This record gives sequence, C-alpha cells and structure tokens, in this order.
Amino acid sequence: MSAAVNEAAHSAAHTPAGGPRPSRRPSHKGQDEAFLVVDDLSVQFPTEDGLVKAVQNVSYSLPLGRTLAIVGESGSGKSVSSMAIMGLHDPKRTIITGSISLGGEQIVGRSQDDMRKIRGQVASIIFQDPQSSLHPYFTVGWQLREAYREHHQVSKSVAHTRAIEMLDRVGIPHPKRRADQYPFEFSGGMRQRAMIAMALINDPQLIIADEPTTALDVTVQAQILDLLNDLQAEFGSAIIMITHDLAVVAEVADDVMVMYGGRAVEHGTAEQVLVRPNHPYTWGLLQSIPAVSSEQAELYPIKGNPPSLLSLPPGCSFAPRCPYVDRVPDGKCRTDLPELISRSAGDHGLSRCHLSNPDAIFAAEVEPRIA
Amino acid sequence: MESTNRAGQTPILTVRDLKMHFPVKNNEGLLGGRQIVKAVDGVDLDLYAGETLGLVGESGCGKSTLGRSIIRLTRPTAGSVLFQGTEMATIGERQLRPFRRKLQMIFQDPYGSLNPRQTVGTIIKTPLEVHGLAKGKEKERVQDLLARVGLNPEHYNRYPSEFSGGQRQRIGIARALAVEPQVIIADEPVSALDVSIQAQVINLLNALRRDLGIAFIFIAHDLGVVRHFCDRVAVMYLGKIVEYGPKHEVYERPRHPYTQALLSAAPDLNVVRGVPPKEHIRLVGDVPSPIDPPSGCRFRTRCWKAQAICAEQEPVLESRDDSAQDHRIACHFPAQLEGLTAAV
Repeated sequence: MSAAVNEAAHSAAHTPAGGPRPSRRPSHKGQDEAFLVVDDLSVQFPTEDGLVKAVQNVSYSLPLGRTLAIVGESGSGKSVSSMAIMGLHDPKRTIITGSISLGGEQIVGRSQDDMRKIRGQVASIIFQDPQSSLHPYFTVGWQLREAYREHHQVSKSVAHTRAIEMLDRVGIPHPKRRADQYPFEFSGGMRQRAMIAMALINDPQLIIADEPTTALDVTVQAQILDLLNDLQAEFGSAIIMITHDLAVVAEVADDVMVMYGGRAVEHGTAEQVLVRPNHPYTWGLLQSIPAVSSEQAELYPIKGNPPSLLSLPPGCSFAPRCPYVDRVPDGKCRTDLPELISRSAGDHGLSRCHLSNPDAIFAAEVEPRIA
Repeated sequence: MESTNRAGQTPILTVRDLKMHFPVKNNEGLLGGRQIVKAVDGVDLDLYAGETLGLVGESGCGKSTLGRSIIRLTRPTAGSVLFQGTEMATIGERQLRPFRRKLQMIFQDPYGSLNPRQTVGTIIKTPLEVHGLAKGKEKERVQDLLARVGLNPEHYNRYPSEFSGGQRQRIGIARALAVEPQVIIADEPVSALDVSIQAQVINLLNALRRDLGIAFIFIAHDLGVVRHFCDRVAVMYLGKIVEYGPKHEVYERPRHPYTQALLSAAPDLNVVRGVPPKEHIRLVGDVPSPIDPPSGCRFRTRCWKAQAICAEQEPVLESRDDSAQDHRIACHFPAQLEGLTAAV
C-alpha cells in the first residue's frame, strides 16, 4: 500500500471538509466524537479464481446521532465493508486488514466469542430481506426474547415483556398477540418492523441498515424510514444506511460515501455529494435517475458495466467507463490511482479523481442535465 | 363507450371490465372451502398506437396480473380485450396465435426468464420459427436484433450465463422484438437492475418506441421511472384503477387520496437540492385482502376522508368538472383543484 493512499485514508477519517451540515435530528451528547472509526479497511476473499478485492482502503468515522449513507451498485463493496464491522466474515475465508474501532474497542482480529458480545449489544444490523432473517420455526416473541437474553441475565418472562415493549415501540399493533405469532403471519412491512425491534432490543449505539427498505413498497418504505428517524432521535444512535437508492439517501443521510469497485470514490455531507459532487461516477448516477418530483427529458446512463473485483483495472477503477478520461493529461487515469482528497475550493467533499477542475465541468456539463 | 383520444385516434388495445379471479382453498370446514381472490376486478383501459401507459401500484394491487391477462398468459375470468377491434379475451389458443405476434411481453427477472440451456441465438430464433418469419435468414435476423438492442451480434452462440443482468434484459427485449410486435407489456423491466444499467435499458426502450412506434404498457413500482417513461398513468389499488390520466395531471395534480399518499411516500432526490419536502401523508395499516375487499370504495379502510357513502357506494372512475377530460378519478371526495400544490 502506498503512503499516498494512507494519507488520503487518514484525511477521510475525519468529518469531510466544508463544515458539517446541520443534522436533521436534534443533537446528542458526543455529537462530535466519533463513535465508529474505520481506518484503512480492506477486505479480500481468496477464491479459486484469484483474490477478490471486495473492499480496499476504506476510511470513515461516524459520531452518535448521525446517519452515514454508503451508496453503490452491486459489487461495490458497500455491504462487505459493513459486515466487517459486525464481524460477520468467516475468518478462515477472509483477509481483513486495517482497523475498526467501535466505541474505542478494536474489532478487527477479535474472536467469534468476543464478537458475539458486541453484536446486538453495541452494534446491530438490519438486513434487506426480513423473510429470511427471521427464523420460520420460532414465534417472533421468542426470537426477540432470546436476542435480549443473549446480553441480559433475566428471566424469560422479563425478556418477554421487553420483547412486547419493543414490538409496540416499532408500531406493531396488538404487540402482545403478535408476539405469539410466527413470521409467516406477518406482512413484509411488519416483518421488517419486527427485525428492527430485534436489532434495537439491546439498545445498540450503532445500527447498520443494509438496504432495509429495498424489498418494501413505497408507502411501507416511508413508514420504516420515519421509524428509523424517530428511533435515532430518541436513542441518539449512529446509523449506517447501505443503499443503492439516491432518493432515499437524500431523505435520510447526513453524510454520504459513494463506493465503486471496492473503494470510496466520493465522501462528504449529503449536500456536498448530491448537490456539488466532484466525481464522474456520482455525476453518472445522478444523470441516470429520473426524479419523482420533476420531469427529466433524457437520461444519460453510464456506459459499460461495473468492473470485476478479481481484475480491477490499474489506475482509476472507473476509468474504463468514464467520459472524462481524455481531459486528464498523459492517460494518468489508466495508470495512477487517484487519492481520495479534497479536489476544489469551496464546499465540496473528498473525491478520488484526477480531474483538475471538476467544479467547472459539473456546472457546465452535468448540472444542466439533472432536474 | 367513448374510445377515441384527443387526436381522434382509435385505440390499438381496448380493455373493458376485465376481471381475473383465482379460486383458492381455505382451511375452514372439514374438507376446506373455496374462496375467490379478486386480483383484477373490473378494469377499463385504452392504449393508443405508439404511446406508453404506466401501471403503478403496490405489490398485490393486481398490476402484473392485469398485464398477464391482457396478453392472455392467463385467461381472464370476464371482460373484454379488443386488439384493433378483435376480441381476444375469450378466443381459443389456436385463434390466439396471430395475436401473440402483435403483443409481446418483457419480464422483470432477467435470470428466470431465459432458458439457461439454450444459446442466445436459439432463444431469439424460436419465436421466428413459431411464426414462420425470416425463413432461411433466421441467423441474420437474430444478429440484426442483437445489434438493435446494443449487444454484439457475434455473441449469438453464447449462453445466458455469460451475460450480465442488464445484457440479459436486452436479450429478453430482442426476443420480444423478433416478431415485430405492436404492443409490448413490460413488467418491472428495470427493477432488478443496478441504477447505471437501469438508465441504459430505459433509453433502449425509449428508442424502440420512437423508432419502431411500439406501444408499451409499462408496469412498475418506481414512480420516478414511470414519470420519465410514460405518457399516461393508471394507479391501481386492490384490483381496481383509482386514478387514470396524462402523467402531468396525475403527478402534478393528483386527486385521489391514494395517489396523493403514494406520491408523498416516494423518496425524492430533489429535497437535498432545496426543493421543499412535500407534505408527508402516511397510510396506516396494510392493504386489505383481495379475497374479501371492503365494500364500496376499496381504499376507504385506509382513507382519511372516508364517510358513510364510501362504504355504501362504489365510486365510478370518471373525469370531473374541474379536471382535464381525460383525467379520471374513482373517489367520492377527490381533492379540490385549488387546494393542490405542485410540490407533491
């Protein structure tokens, strides 16, 4: 790993430049102190076909009470990096380097027993598919109760009362009756609420929501996003929202990290990344999405397909699809990996791109094409 | 029934009072009884040549079933589907065959809808053979089609597993195009694809519509995509159309409470650009069962405007004094025009 990348990684470990955008939620104690610090994290999977570099040199930090959205397409590494925080990768099949500090505790290299104590208690994850993340053989109440008893030495009846409380808190009607039902008796939205109740039953300070609403209808999605927002305001938890949907990001995120080919390519506040982005990949995404509140005459898709994590191109991973490679002299995009740093004066995030005047290009060529 | 549009065109496809009911077993009684799922329960639609009609609604509203029964993948329980004036809802399989050429379908799942053991060439050639088209020149035609959808014509000998999701969706589109259809029913054609690939496929569909004049019924849950792609929109709830009109009317002046709730729930990228967040209407509860839908207006159990009449009388899908003539709303208390803000 080069020193340059390391340096970039460290600069990204702080709140991106430009001053923090006021959080949409009331502030909580410890707002400025990072609760989660991910530093130079890489996750690799050795396979028969070669080494899959799923995540490379990712760094970010997240204080309590704040929401970071990690955006990217399939294979961008957005889920893999977050699963590392939960210690969910099989240590025999995964090479993890770098550091993850959760409330001051180092996660990388911890044993499965240690991680079991942290999971649920300090950090919880909500998966996309509530159908397969609840066990079909046990009642919802039983599953919540046991999740609580995993971390609290209490009787079954006390834990059951706590389970019913949580079901009530996430807006499930008749929680007492519902607790005795099986997951198949719940609708999709209800199941996702039950998953959230289970994730929150031990009051974790970090919630990782991995595409929590992708499988849901829009009206249910809105209910779930509102619920997460309310719970964060109430408990002051930090939230990592993993999603591919930029509209969801615009609605919920304080900070945004855009991932491509296993690397962070843009990182800043929601406004910086979505309104004044400096990376051509982010530009491409914004030009690909028709907004619901405005008429868009034409979409400008990104050409080609995402890279294989087995054989990433040398230089910038986005170069083969980037319409701007010729604006950078000496074909540098194809040979040198750009650092993730601040690229232009003014209120912008960090960007991993060689362009010298992304500001001007965005204003002249990209902005007129969106909304 | 009135069946010309403003330009005086007659519709290429006319759907009247279409019903698709499925019997299901329940567990009541010794042997179990039978109940009826009313997935589509009386739908009227017109589709004009070359236009795109969006069908939106949440899962279980019947939008996919409607698409499948229009194209006769399932035989409708009742009602009529006229293709250029000829009834195709009730005729037999053999008589249906010429219509299969005129109407084609694109499916959501680019993995499940292609036979993994056939080469791309075979997949696209099969409909040509079935309909006896391009005889003796099948290979050239297949290669033309591959080029038309943006794939390498040399790849006709490859298998679906060698292609990415977006490329497979293009193969499905090429197969639909093979028989030169006039209508394509596209059921969530881009929802399984990544954002950057989605836009590629939408642009391809747009080009087909422009260059070949194909009319689309576009079934989707993504309201932004429908707004971009479609000329008119029909909003479905529990087997019925509740609002139906030109897209700018439906999106900018939604009159039915369900449409308003649906639009207000859709996350909006523009909020971060300073567009004021729209008023949030949050529906409570779940969609009722289509086995035993509410009497009168089906939306009344979740509607904040519901009154006694809504339970007694089913509202008719019709235009209003203050609405555009082709903007129809099925509601006893549609929103007044002056109260509406463009922000929704």
